[in-house]
Amino acid sequence: MPLLDVEGLSVEYRTTQGSVQAVRGVSLSVEAGGSLGLVGESGCGKSTLARALIRVLPRNARITGGAVRLEGTDLLSLTEEEMNQYRWRKIAVVPQAAMDSLDPVHRVGNQMVETLRLRGGLTAVAARARAERLFQLVGLESRRLEHYPHEFSGGMKQRAVIAMALALDPSLLIADEPVTALDVIVQRQVLATLRQLRAELTLSLILITHDISVVAHLCQDVAVMYAGRVVERGTVRRVFAAPQHPYTMGLRNAFPSLRLHQMRLVPIEGYPPDLVAPPRGCAFAPRCPFVIAKCWDEDPPLVATESGHMAACHRANEAAVLSAGAPEAFARLERLAEEGPIRATGSGGLR
Amino acid sequence: MTRLLFIASRLGQTLLVLWVVATLLFLIFRLMPGNPLVAYIDPNFTQEMQQALLRQFGLDKPLYVQYFVYLGNLARGEFGRSFFTREPVSKAIWDVLPNTIMLTLSALVLAYLVGIVQGALLAARRGTRVEALGIPMVLATRAAPEFWVGMLALALFSFHFNWFPSSGATSPGSVYPSMWAKFFSLDFLRHLTLPALTLALYLQGLPTLLMRNTMLEVMDEDFVTFCRMRGLPERTIILRHAARNALLPVVTAFALGVGYSIGGDVIIETVFSWPGLGRLLVRAVSAKDYPVAQGAFVILAAIMVFMNLAADLLYGLLDPRVSHERK
Amino acid sequence: MNESRPLSTVLVQYPRATAAWRAALAATWSIARRDRFALTGLIIYAVFLVVALAAPLVAPYPPQELTYLSNGDVDANAPMSRTHLLGTTNLGRDIFSQLLYGARAALMVGITAALGVVILGTLVGLVSGYYGGWVDTAIMRLADVAFGIPFLPMAIVLVAFLGPSIWNVVLVMTLLLWRDTGRVIRSQVLTLRERAYVEAARLLGASHFRIMFVHIAPNVLPLSFLYGSLAIGWAILTEASISFLGFGDPNVISWGSMLQDAYNSQALARQAFNWFVPPGITIMLTVMAGFFISRGYEELLFPRMRRR
Repeated sequence: MPLLDVEGLSVEYRTTQGSVQAVRGVSLSVEAGGSLGLVGESGCGKSTLARALIRVLPRNARITGGAVRLEGTDLLSLTEEEMNQYRWRKIAVVPQAAMDSLDPVHRVGNQMVETLRLRGGLTAVAARARAERLFQLVGLESRRLEHYPHEFSGGMKQRAVIAMALALDPSLLIADEPVTALDVIVQRQVLATLRQLRAELTLSLILITHDISVVAHLCQDVAVMYAGRVVERGTVRRVFAAPQHPYTMGLRNAFPSLRLHQMRLVPIEGYPPDLVAPPRGCAFAPRCPFVIAKCWDEDPPLVATESGHMAACHRANEAAVLSAGAPEAFARLERLAEEGPIRATGSGGLR
Repeated sequence: MTRLLFIASRLGQTLLVLWVVATLLFLIFRLMPGNPLVAYIDPNFTQEMQQALLRQFGLDKPLYVQYFVYLGNLARGEFGRSFFTREPVSKAIWDVLPNTIMLTLSALVLAYLVGIVQGALLAARRGTRVEALGIPMVLATRAAPEFWVGMLALALFSFHFNWFPSSGATSPGSVYPSMWAKFFSLDFLRHLTLPALTLALYLQGLPTLLMRNTMLEVMDEDFVTFCRMRGLPERTIILRHAARNALLPVVTAFALGVGYSIGGDVIIETVFSWPGLGRLLVRAVSAKDYPVAQGAFVILAAIMVFMNLAADLLYGLLDPRVSHERK
Repeated sequence: MNESRPLSTVLVQYPRATAAWRAALAATWSIARRDRFALTGLIIYAVFLVVALAAPLVAPYPPQELTYLSNGDVDANAPMSRTHLLGTTNLGRDIFSQLLYGARAALMVGITAALGVVILGTLVGLVSGYYGGWVDTAIMRLADVAFGIPFLPMAIVLVAFLGPSIWNVVLVMTLLLWRDTGRVIRSQVLTLRERAYVEAARLLGASHFRIMFVHIAPNVLPLSFLYGSLAIGWAILTEASISFLGFGDPNVISWGSMLQDAYNSQALARQAFNWFVPPGITIMLTVMAGFFISRGYEELLFPRMRRR
């Protein structure tokens, strides 16, 4: 049994423009001790997904369906009080806004101790000692516990939040863009810290990022999200070596690659669809260089492919060929976009 | 250094406001139609007697001389003598100022304590019936005229149930060895109850709404979300984190509130015949007792502008981030 | 999808002058339709407006007239009855009729004072924000002074000086309360004058006057309305307070003067609730109506507060 098993999870936001389907039937799983990278553009629903897993969503958001099973218990069926027992003891989150996640009017150490005492049931003395150990673990001096958040640098706050997340020895850590707000050197330090922690503590990790190189660095498995769906998932090695979904191929071209020494980065032209009214067919169709008629009408399900992982593409069986031509195909779209507004986002443009 | 400069400039501004107020008062009272001593002068007085009186009050000199004499006196805390009682105005003010301060502070402290709790509660219960009923109720307390609420309180609790006295700060004929002995006497507290509660009922609206609004903002902040993720008890999140952060503007408003509510004391003190500065002012204006009116007004204005100044400085002291740039 | 739309983006949607003026008025209407509170406020105002206009027709007695019993005695301190819906005062005047007439004073003071405050405040804000420099500095120092003056005591002193008349009350309020509106409008103008279309108007040679009133003013109008709807309430409350303290117009029946009359005539000791409860309630309702309408405006201008 996997540690975490998410099945058909859907989340929507109620806005003045209508309800936005931010997460649309996402299924994924994480083995105990495993690590899953969740990649996709901003707005694809990955942060919403993370917050849905721990059930702390913005006020206007609502989980509309699915199941989140942690060690077999469906978290969505729990009452708020019961859920509170799972938060931090089982699942901890390093939120995307880690920089602003510490209460500015309390000393960082006191916030740590508060969590350890109220949630971990530790005595004041024990909590203090544990807070110091946690700070050492993430590479912060223990005297820093006496400081206020505004006395910390960005990287230090990030570390402090990671230390906080590890406070109660969670089985699963969800880190949402843990390094995005940091400069490159600090990024590397924080990533090294995370990697080291994974090695030392038997911790399962969900790492959310738009940067696939970070995933390649830290994770065994990867799930690629687009427009609120998982479009491809499998082991990092397989997915990046033999991507089955054109979006994954595009992502690989758009980032400074680790293994393929590509000379030029090719962006994916266009924008994700409006999720107030999700398209009937494949959500990626308007931006896809390999789009066929079927794509506009029928949303492809996530199914196992020949190469041993899962993808949601009608042309997954041709993936090897398409993948080879992908850089050129995406580049062609880019040129077209530069030449003029001939590319519509609807069904007209590319057929 | 910049901080000192800031304090200095705010202090200068405060003194400027006081000077303008003093000058305005001087002009208003000197330009009022009719002889300033008209209420005081007996129609049977001879011309010589009138002149003597004018001289006695310094009203025979040219206006600009009077103005400088007046400013000089103000600077020394001299407000002249009452046209009626012939007592020094400063004594008249000093006699009633402590009563006003006691009334205002007790009402304000109560109002802010209640208001902070109510505001936090309204914010914590947003979208519920508590909010739907609570907000119009709070608005109603802000919309109801203070003097009317005071009248209702008097009619019910003083005249009907006879629980509290209807006027004054102490019972007639009572003598106390000292001011403090008076303030802590049961008699004084019984007299204080109705006016202080009425004033507090009016004053609690501002801190309640302010607390609620800042709380709502704070509760959308990332650190509160992080608290929720950690599974902290709701009570801890609301009290230790959200409310503690929302408190800053409310505490600042308290200092401002002292100034504003002292200005509004004229009403409450009149309804409850509370021997304070506001009532002194109202009676002096009605009776055209200019020196007293001037003195009372200047003191009111001074308290107000200095409390505004205090509020500004307090904000700096309370915020642990004050010397740091916050994004 | 989650961020609030700042005021500036709401306003910049109507850069064209005439359209903007119309939009500002249309906004008032849409607020009333959208917001339950604002609608309540508008209804309260409408009712009191009708009462004020129709007072001479509806009032059973002239408000100052003494009423008599059949035996020729003054019908003083009458309880509530069919002949005197709210009873009579200690001098035998019909309280219900006074209450109806009181709506006239309240609305007259409320509306004119609000107009005065808003017009003066908006003008000051426009001039201060648009010209900047020493004009701005001088005006803002003046606003600081106005903020430092204890409002009610100053109003009393000024009314005592100018003479007891409701127009003096209005004048005093205008002179003392423009500061809040002025400051807010000014800061809004400061951002508006940097807008591209204002810049364009300037390059096309539009006069300062034209830029201020045709290009900028319409965009600050909703803010002016917001402060105006609040000012109506404050003005009514202030008039009542001044009347209660005995500095009101002796020839005008207002809710404040009714309460003063009751207070001075020992109505409290006599437990004549029929006398002093109704005027307080009407004052409270009109002031609340102002609060409700301003809330509606706030939600239009700052939609962030709207989201639950």
